[in-house]
Amino acid sequence: MAYQLYRNTTLGNSLQESLDELIQSQQITPQLALQVLLQFDKAINSALAQRVRNRVNFRGSLNTYRFCDNVWTFVLNDVEFREVTELVKVDKVKIVACDGKSKYGIRHK
Amino acid sequence: FKDDLSTSPQLFTPMSPYDVDLPIQTTEDVLFGSQFNQPKELPTDFSSVDLSFLPDITQDSKEENLSEAGHDMQKEFDGSISSRNEDSSIFVDESSLSYPDATRPSPEASGVCPPLTPMTPMTPVTPASESSGIVPQLQNIVSTVNLACKLDLKNIALHARNAEYNPKRFAAVIMRIREPRTTALIFSSGKMVCTGAKSEEQSRLAARKYARVVQKLGFPAKFLDFKIQNMVGSCDVRFPIRLEGLVLTHQQFSSYEPELFPGLIYRMVKPRIVLLIFVSGKVVLTGAKERSEIYEAFENIYPILKGFKKAS
Repeated sequence: MAYQLYRNTTLGNSLQESLDELIQSQQITPQLALQVLLQFDKAINSALAQRVRNRVNFRGSLNTYRFCDNVWTFVLNDVEFREVTELVKVDKVKIVACDGKSKYGIRHK
Repeated sequence: FKDDLSTSPQLFTPMSPYDVDLPIQTTEDVLFGSQFNQPKELPTDFSSVDLSFLPDITQDSKEENLSEAGHDMQKEFDGSISSRNEDSSIFVDESSLSYPDATRPSPEASGVCPPLTPMTPMTPVTPASESSGIVPQLQNIVSTVNLACKLDLKNIALHARNAEYNPKRFAAVIMRIREPRTTALIFSSGKMVCTGAKSEEQSRLAARKYARVVQKLGFPAKFLDFKIQNMVGSCDVRFPIRLEGLVLTHQQFSSYEPELFPGLIYRMVKPRIVLLIFVSGKVVLTGAKERSEIYEAFENIYPILKGFKKAS
């Protein structure tokens, strides 16, 4: 069971909205939608682990932190994301981080 | 029994029959060996000192003799001080330094009996001359308080800011606040430990802030039995110290294993404080329940450390 961490991302949310529309129009069952999301979890975890090679550095000031159920949640302010090619500045960023080494994930709400 | 007490120069006068039974344990008794009960401890140099300033002499010759005596004593003390620096009874150094001042009156003061200091001071042992002039700074205060209600730690960890909860590793929520900069350990029993504050008031204020956080999360938190459990202070005597010498003369209080830890661990009996003394002259004091214990311990150790200053 892969982390369901990525469902609340632009990609994951778009998928969930689309699936909801299909359910509404009775084109698929809710059970099928659930299976699609589970497959999405596997696919996105695998893709990020295997197909992403680039490195990004970021630096900012820590506003808050939390560690519960083995999940870290940070809120940073005035953050600079730095890649070799470019620089992105943001006022606020929320980071939710799950343990990379653990084989099984738990759904974090 | 009663005679023994009245003749020996003790530091107290019995106010009631009960006081007589109290054992007198002054710091000096424990640390330096009692100066008062064993006059042998005094430096032998006094045997050659002119004692004519004592009240037996006539009025006319008094001032003359006194100034002479003052000079004599001055010379004796100047000569003997450097040699006696190595002694553990450094306290005597301090009191002896005060003698020249006390026994040399101004020539103008005719017919006035100058302030005479007895050879064995009856006053409290802290020398009439300087205190160290250094005040240890408090670095850390650990306190505990009882919030008096069972707490759901997972709930607290999920809703409070700046909290960590890893029950597999430690059965408490670790929470931090920025002002006063402190860390709290909050247990499911409702008990809490607050660390990191630099003063007693700050520790109490921080503990109250944590209690308020818990209260705002919906728990009926109270603030019972706030108690400071430990205080840590540090300071710098500003001269290097011969730890090897100190451990030799104060072995019943010291433990020094440079291969294990570079500091000498001095366990003072009164007050019950542990001091970490380093070659650099930096001193860490810990184990206090009150600020005064830190100050008292430092004032006790300072003259001892001065006696082990590294000659450079």
